[in-house]
This record gives sequence, C-alpha cells and structure tokens, in this order.
Amino acid sequence: MRKSGRQMVGYFALAVCLALAGTAVVGGQPGSAQDKITVGIIPITDCAPIFLGKQKGFFAKYNLDVNIESAQGGAELVNPVVSGQREFGFSNVSSLLIAQTRGLDLVAISAGASSTGEQGRDFGAIVAPGDSPIKNAKDLEGKTVAVNNLNNIGDTSVNASVRAAGGDPSKVKYVELAFPAMPAALADKRIDAAWIVEPFLTITKEHGAKVVAWNLVDTSPRLMIAAYFTTRKYAKEHPDIVKRFQEAMKESLAYADSHNDEVRAIVPTFTRVSKEMIGKSTLPRWPTEMNIKSTQTLADLALKDGLLAKKPDLDAFFKLP
Amino acid sequence: MTWVRGIGGLIGLAIVLEAVPRSGAVSPLYFPPFSTIMVALAEEVERASFWSALGKTLESWALGLAIAVCAGAVIGIAIGSSALLRETTRSTIEFLRPIPSVALIPLVTLLFGTTLKSNLILVVYASFWQVLIQVLYGVQDVDPLARETARSYRLSRWEQIRYVIWPTTLPYLMTGVRLAAAVALILTITAELVIGTPGLGKELFLAQTSGAYEIMYVYVVVTGIIGVIVNVLARALERAVMPWHSSLRTEAMP
Amino acid sequence: MSSDRAIQIVRQMALAMGLPALLFVAWWISSSGSESIFFPPLSNILRTFADVWFSPRIMHDVVPSLVRLFIGYLSAVALGLALGIAIGASRRMRQVIEPVLEFLRAIPPPVLVPIFMLFVGIGDMMKMLVIISGCVWPVLLNTVAGVRALDSVLEEVIRCYRIGMVARLWYFVLPGASPQIFAGMRQALSIGIILMVISEMFAASNGLGFSLVQFQRSFAIPEMWTGIILLGLIGILLAFIFRFVENWMLAWYFGLRRSQRESS
Repeated sequence: MRKSGRQMVGYFALAVCLALAGTAVVGGQPGSAQDKITVGIIPITDCAPIFLGKQKGFFAKYNLDVNIESAQGGAELVNPVVSGQREFGFSNVSSLLIAQTRGLDLVAISAGASSTGEQGRDFGAIVAPGDSPIKNAKDLEGKTVAVNNLNNIGDTSVNASVRAAGGDPSKVKYVELAFPAMPAALADKRIDAAWIVEPFLTITKEHGAKVVAWNLVDTSPRLMIAAYFTTRKYAKEHPDIVKRFQEAMKESLAYADSHNDEVRAIVPTFTRVSKEMIGKSTLPRWPTEMNIKSTQTLADLALKDGLLAKKPDLDAFFKLP
Repeated sequence: MTWVRGIGGLIGLAIVLEAVPRSGAVSPLYFPPFSTIMVALAEEVERASFWSALGKTLESWALGLAIAVCAGAVIGIAIGSSALLRETTRSTIEFLRPIPSVALIPLVTLLFGTTLKSNLILVVYASFWQVLIQVLYGVQDVDPLARETARSYRLSRWEQIRYVIWPTTLPYLMTGVRLAAAVALILTITAELVIGTPGLGKELFLAQTSGAYEIMYVYVVVTGIIGVIVNVLARALERAVMPWHSSLRTEAMP
Repeated sequence: MSSDRAIQIVRQMALAMGLPALLFVAWWISSSGSESIFFPPLSNILRTFADVWFSPRIMHDVVPSLVRLFIGYLSAVALGLALGIAIGASRRMRQVIEPVLEFLRAIPPPVLVPIFMLFVGIGDMMKMLVIISGCVWPVLLNTVAGVRALDSVLEEVIRCYRIGMVARLWYFVLPGASPQIFAGMRQALSIGIILMVISEMFAASNGLGFSLVQFQRSFAIPEMWTGIILLGLIGILLAFIFRFVENWMLAWYFGLRRSQRESS
C-alpha cells in the first residue's frame, strides 16, 4: 500500500477509536454515565441555586442530567416524590416534618434555603400597615395574621416571635392567604398583619407597610426554611446518585451564596419576578450544610403549638440509609 | 349595524377598565389600567413560553374533548337504543353526574401530579356527561315510526344506528359538543391553575406567585379570548351540521 | 296491592339499585386488600366517614360551604334574571352588550379567584363572588333566550290590553321563559357546586373544599376520600331537590311536552 493509503487507514482507525471512546464516556456503563433525575421545586427565589448549578454545569460534572419541574405549592411537592414520579424535591422543612409524622419515610439530603439570621434584613418578616397600632410581636395578640399555609412554618415562626416579645401565641388569630394577595389585603386593612416573603415584602414595603418582627430570625439562628429531600427507599436503592446530587447541590449552594449578582440574573428566567424587583429584594442565604439544630427547634415548637400530632424522628429525617 | 353596536359595547368596557384604576378608586398595582395590560400582552406574545403554554392548554382541551365526545356518543347511543340499558343505568347516571369533577383534584394530583393525565381525567369526567345526556335525549327523540320501519325492513343493528338513530342524534350531539367544549376549557384551565400542569392557567399562577400582577391580568384576558373563540367555533360547527336547529337550541330539555 | 304491582315495584327498584350496588361491591372487593396509600380499602374509608363528618366539622365546614353556595346561587339567579329580562327585552341593548357578555362569561371563573382575592380578601365575600361570577351566566343567557322566544302574538295582546309592567312580568314573561330559565338554573347549580369547592381550595379557613385540600396536604388519604364521597352525595342531593322544585314549578310545561310527544 502506498504511504498515503496507510495514512488513510491509520487516520480511519484513529477516528473509529475516538468515536468508540466517545460513546463510552457519554453513553457507556450504567452508573457512571449521565443519570437522568427530576427535581421538583417551587418557582421562587429560594430555588435559584439549583438552576444556577445546572447552568454552571455542576450537575453535569457529577454526571447528573437534572430535569427541574416546578409545582404549585410546598405540600404538593412531596407526593410526586413519594409516588416515584420524581426523584428529588424541594420543600419547606415544616411540610416535610408533617409528612414524616404521617408515616411518609422521607429523608432530607441537602439544605434548600435559610434565613439570613439578621434582624433588620431577611427575606421574610411579619409586616403590618404603616399606620397600624401594632408595634411589636406582642401586639399581635387578638389580631388577625395572615400566613400562606396554616399549620406550617408561618404560624410556628410567628408564634416564636410573639413569645420572644413576651406575648401569648394562642391569642393570635391566623388566616390562610396566598402571598400575592397579602399586599392588597394589608393596604386595605382586611388583615391586621401578615407573614410575608420576597418579592412581596419589597412590594408591600413600597406601599407603606412596616416590619413588625423578623419571625424567621426569632425562631432559630440561621433557620433552614427549606431542604431538598427524597424517599428513604430511593436513597437505599440509589446511594450513589444521592451522593452525587448532594455534592452538586453543595457546589451550587456555595456558588449562589457567593454570587448574588448571578442569582439575581437567573431568577427572572424561572419566575416572573422582574429584574427590577429581584434587584430590590433581600435574598435568602444558602448554606452548604443542613441546619439540624434549627430543624429540631421547628419540630419542638410545632409540637408545643399543637401543629404536629406526634414527635418527628429527626434521626431518621437526616440520616441516609 | 348590529356589529357596530357590539364594537361600541366592547369599547365601552375598555374605557371603564382604563378609567377606574387611573382614577384611584382601585390601586393600579392590583388592577392595572387596560392600556398597561395591553402593553404587557403585546410583550407576552413575543415570549416562547406564552405559545408553549397556549399549545399545552389547547392540547389538553382538544384531547379531553375528543375522548369525552367519542365516549359520550358511543355509550350514549348504545344505552339509548336499548330500553333495558336505559333503565338499568339511569340511577347510576343520575348518581355520578352531579359529582363535581373538582372534588377529584386532590386525588388526581396525588396520582398523576402535573402531567397531562391529571388534566385529562378532570376534563373527560366533566365533559363526558354533557355529551352523554344530550345524546341520550337525541336517541330518545328518534321518530318511533322510522324506527319501526327500519326494524320491519330487518335492518341490522349497525344499519339502524347509521341510517335512523345517527341522523336524529347528530344535532343533539353537536349541542353536547358545544357544551362540552366550554366545560373542557374551564376544567383544563382550572387544573392548570390549581394543580400546576403546564398551560395558560399555570402561567397565570406563576405571574401571581411572582407578584407580576399585570402579567396575571394578561392571562385572564387571554383565557377569555380563547373561551370566546372556542364558543364561536363550537356554535359555527353546530350551525354547519344542522342549520335549522341551532337557533332554537340552547340545551335539550326533558 | 296486587302481586303484579308488587312485582313491578320490585323490578323498578332492582333496576334502579342494581348497577350502583354492583359498582359499590366491585369497589369494595377490588380495594379490600389494598396496600396502596392512595387507594385505601373502601371499608377503611367508610369507617372514617362517620368520624370525620359527624362531628363539629359539620358546623365548621359543611354548613358554611352550603350557606355560601345557597346565598351565592340565589344572588346569581336574581341577578341573572334581572339582567336577562332587561337585555332580552331590548334588541338594541342586546346588540351592544352581547360581545362584552360573551367575553366576560368566557373567562373561567377559577381564574377570577386570584383577582377577587386581591379586591375583597379571603372571607365569605370572595367565595360568594366567585360562585356568583360563574352561576350568573347560564341564568342570564338562558333568560335572554327565553325572553326572546316569547310568543309575540301574546305580547301584542298584552300591549293592546295595556297590561302593566309588573303584571306583565309575573303573568307573561316569567312563566313564558321559565322552562329556559330553569334549564339555566340547573346548569348554574352544578357550576355553583364546582365553584364552591374551588373557591375554598385557594385560601380559606373553613369549608368542604378547604377540608379536602387540608386532608390531601397532610396526607390523610382515607379522610380525603370521605370528602370526595361527601361532595358527591351533596351534588346528588342538591340535584334531586332541584328536580323536585322544577317538576313542581314547571308541571304545566312538562305535561304539555308529554302530551305533544304522545300525540305525534
């Protein structure tokens, strides 16, 4: 064969080898290739890290092809995970504790979002109309306070603020009202106060409301308000995927916590919060480690307030099989 | 002349919707003026997410409606043409029919989550009855003489249905389709709003959750427009199939 | 009672009860050993039914829901009748307002829930407004159709005799349009039940829809099923009551149709 012919064969062989190697990397052995997972989230700022992480390739780095689906509310995120429709979910911690006491064997695997822990600057607070006689959480006794979900973190944390101010939480009247309706209800004085989160906190402050107390801060230092979770069954059957998800989430959370500007850029892409509004909002904190202590506090308070029927098993909640 | 008056009415509505928020009677943040909503609408239709949501809603609506109509027509004709079946199923139909399909929302959310199946179950369950009831009326309206004649000519069951029952039932079926089309749209959007299946209802919810009140109103307007189009098309279909019936019919009465 | 009549009654009852009983038994059997969280055994569900509903919950949830439905429905009927008669009577008014009405009624009422929430808050008013916003349309449109279809000869006669507005309404318009109006009221009733449930699923502190959602959220599945069954029973009961009232008020009309059918 002539020299150029041999070269051709050589190049051809090389090409075939590269192609084979390429398929081995991309679609080769199970377990180390891209595993498809679906994560259920709520379209709120708190979930920015997972979007940011996907965008930055943190999940791809751990060979995870993550499909993010958004749902209508905190409690509606647990069911798809339990039924196996989704592998992972994002939910507020109180809902997860309630689910556990109802017999659903869930395990928290990553922090979701946390309060800033700073009085005076958090992403959620108890607000009242600007000219309201309510000056602190103790004045909430006998008043109507709106929370987005009854028997959940809203009333637990508001109760904590009332106690911290020396008041009696049982005298507070709670009503359920979706966050978007709270600014209007406050402006028209149809409710006396509300627990409200961003971006509605900014909206309502722009319309004259005042902050009465920082309830998440009052409940526990750096309160972990939400977490990513899965079922124990899934964790037992796919420990490797869970571990990789945790690593990818850690990187995503750390990145989001230290790159707030990129968070503010990505939030308008999965919510309808305008760039202007997210620019003015206070962002939550995103710790890489789960806050077991604050979860314990939440559980104790919920039990004390009668919102939980029985004591949640926190060992089981945080321990992977 | 009539349509001029109609346009006048619509313009009047637009003027009211513009003036009330601007006058300060209602805070513009919670009820933006008409012009603001229109501007937001123009911006919204440029987004791919709008068209994808619209497509999802229409897909769920059309599929659910088709299933309900086919099931309603087939089952209706089958039950209607046999006195025994009619008697046996009458109480069951009267039991099941008034059950509000929205009662199934929590169950369906648990079972199927935010998938098309959730929508379809709600849509089909609600729309099916509309079609079934109308078809049952239609089959009963068949001229007994024609039916007897068909039987004396020993037409097979299938031929009886095709030549005697079907033509009489068709206008009733069309009414059923019209009623079912409206119900199907309402249930689709309700499912999207409450459960979160992708579609116009979900976009509305998303806008509301994000505090983007103008965009929320955009989707209210859009669902209204879609509803009008569906009603107009359904009525046109009804007219096309049976020109002389539609003007007299709103719903078959016992 | 002759044995023939007795047999006839038994036969009718068997036919009426047959299929439902069969379905009930089928549900019981197929779910009896069920371990699925979402489809508990029917025996469980029925056992929980009494615990859940024959309790303070009747006063706390069921009664408020029904009261809101009642008030909303009747208000919608009154509003639909009033507007329908006014619009149906004047051709010009109808032409002006028809497109506006077409648009407004095409908006699915649940979509209006967030809007009403902004305006009137979260209480009974919001829920009743939602019910009214959905129920008024069938009544209104059917009233308009009914008024339009009134016998024009009769109308001329009434005008000749210079019969006053009130008498005209009471003796001519309402009775003449009543079959159509009742058809509209029947549609409105099923819409009303649906909206009663939906309005409580969003933001409420009591009600049937609220209970249903709370059960679902706290994963109290058998309780959730009892809620579904209860809603079904309420739907059936209200439909039954409506039919009773309709038969009573429209007895003349049904008799007329029956004789027309039989003579043809």
